[in-house]
Amino acid sequence: MEWYLRGVIKLNNIGKSYITGSQKLEVLKGLTCTIKKGEMVAIMGSSGSGKSTLLNILGLLDSFDSGEYLLSGESMSGLNESAAAKCRSRLLGFVFQSFNLIGFKSALENVALPLYYQRVPRKKRNIIAMDYLKKVGLEDWAAHLPNQLSGGQKQRVAIARALVAQPKVILADEPTGALDSVTSSDVMTLLRKINADGITMIIVTHEHDIAALCDRTIHLVDGLIDLS
Amino acid sequence: MRTFLTGLSIALGVFILVVMQGLGFGLQNGVQNQFSDDAVNSIWVDAGRTQLAYRGNLPNRPVKIRNSDVDAMFQQMDTVHAYSRRVRIWGVVMEHEDKQSNFPLRGVDPDHLMLENTTLTGGRYISSRDVAEETKVTVLGATVVEDLYEGIDPIGTYLLIGGVQFRVVGTFDDPASRWENKMAYLPFTTAQNIFRSNDKVDQIILGTGDMPIAGTRLLSDALLSWFKDRKVVHPDDARGVRIENNNEEYERFQNIFLGIELFIWGLGLLTLLAGAVGVANILAIAVKERTKEIGVRKALGASSSSVVGLVVQESLALMIVSGSAGLITGVGLLEAVSPMIDHEYFKNPQVDFRIALVALVILSVVGVVSGIGPALRAVRIKPVEALRDE
Repeated sequence: MEWYLRGVIKLNNIGKSYITGSQKLEVLKGLTCTIKKGEMVAIMGSSGSGKSTLLNILGLLDSFDSGEYLLSGESMSGLNESAAAKCRSRLLGFVFQSFNLIGFKSALENVALPLYYQRVPRKKRNIIAMDYLKKVGLEDWAAHLPNQLSGGQKQRVAIARALVAQPKVILADEPTGALDSVTSSDVMTLLRKINADGITMIIVTHEHDIAALCDRTIHLVDGLIDLS
Repeated sequence: MRTFLTGLSIALGVFILVVMQGLGFGLQNGVQNQFSDDAVNSIWVDAGRTQLAYRGNLPNRPVKIRNSDVDAMFQQMDTVHAYSRRVRIWGVVMEHEDKQSNFPLRGVDPDHLMLENTTLTGGRYISSRDVAEETKVTVLGATVVEDLYEGIDPIGTYLLIGGVQFRVVGTFDDPASRWENKMAYLPFTTAQNIFRSNDKVDQIILGTGDMPIAGTRLLSDALLSWFKDRKVVHPDDARGVRIENNNEEYERFQNIFLGIELFIWGLGLLTLLAGAVGVANILAIAVKERTKEIGVRKALGASSSSVVGLVVQESLALMIVSGSAGLITGVGLLEAVSPMIDHEYFKNPQVDFRIALVALVILSVVGVVSGIGPALRAVRIKPVEALRDE
């Protein structure tokens, strides 16, 4: 019972379906799981298994139809847009497959963006952002625009951006999907290091090598966790 | 590029608005200047020769308005806003030191300054004391000063008019009438006594002030029949006594100016509207193009209001930057061209500061309004859909 209480993410019987035309597509069929604080978890599954949907629900980017979701002890049921935005900025960091850096902003400005939405004054947020760029080893690239950086560097900027608001959980959607194997392992090393600082890490991936680097793997099959 | 083109169309809209405003003002200034002699609401009474025989009088009899008629007229009227009697004497020799020339002169009352729309350029005008005491003072027109004084300040000097010494107390300029500038104005009584030696009055001008147009019509009709009766002129006689009421003409011009102004504003605002539609369109496209960016921002914690702000700010910036560019080029063009234009009916094409300000306010409002639609669309973007990798 203790591990359950310590869980930073608790999902209880989460259901989610999409309606396409006249057909109702059930993506998650009553999913229950707990992720403990400081865990590094991989979510795997074939395409259509519902792993992206799960990540979107975990990331408060999408709503769920039924069940209960507790994030850091708070219920995430029925949040409106602005409340979800607040929770995202306070509790969650995102890392995407295609980096999703803003093209006309420098690496530093990209990293500082979440702080802008927390109304941190410009000077202060640039200092903090610079700290995080140092952590990912890119302080010399602070003034560069994303298209002047390599794929690995872009992902490291994105990771710095995910970290800058000091989230409880980092959600990574195929973080190495667009990278070669050498850079992939660099990025994974970085993510492990961050995880070692106590930040919970959830990585959606379809690569077994990546999943093997995590503490445990949740396999999704047809909207349910495969316990076999 | 698209943004640039939209900016250009807004700039063009504002430019057209400004230039049209300027041209409208130019036209208005010119026409107003042209008619500024009539720009004062007034009724003019003139005497002529009769056309028709009446009560035993032969036709072609000259009608003479005398001082006594004027006094009697004032007794008939309840209120007189302003008035001036006039006598005119042709070609009087005027001498200052060794210079001499022939000029006409006019005897006037103090209100003549306002009724004739004269600009006093120095000293003072004929006062009521001058009229009452028949003082020998004169106010000289610009042409007279130019011919007889050649750069010397005439005020305080003495001028021989028809051999009589007059003190010059003021100078005037009547921009709308070169004719008036060739005159020397004298107190009415002085002019009548010295140069006429009878009690005939050539003309009476009555200011109607803010009297409504219907009232002035009644007044001028009443005056006409009163004068015809008193001077024994046939009621159908069109020449014996003439009364001109310029209020109707004045109002007609006011209406024309109002029409021009409305037309120009309408045109300018429609152009602006076209620009605004363009901006809304561009922003809608921009929002679509930036769907992903907006999604990322939302994932990073951007609130709805900050997304609206992002789009509206962009719209506002686009409007104000390109609008100001149009404003500046428009004003610049008018400033550059206006010294070159000096046509009778076209003067001083200028945009005043107020109009420019109004245009800027309209631009900002339009900027915000045209940004709102696309901004709301941006708010409705779901981060999930925006972030989906294609």
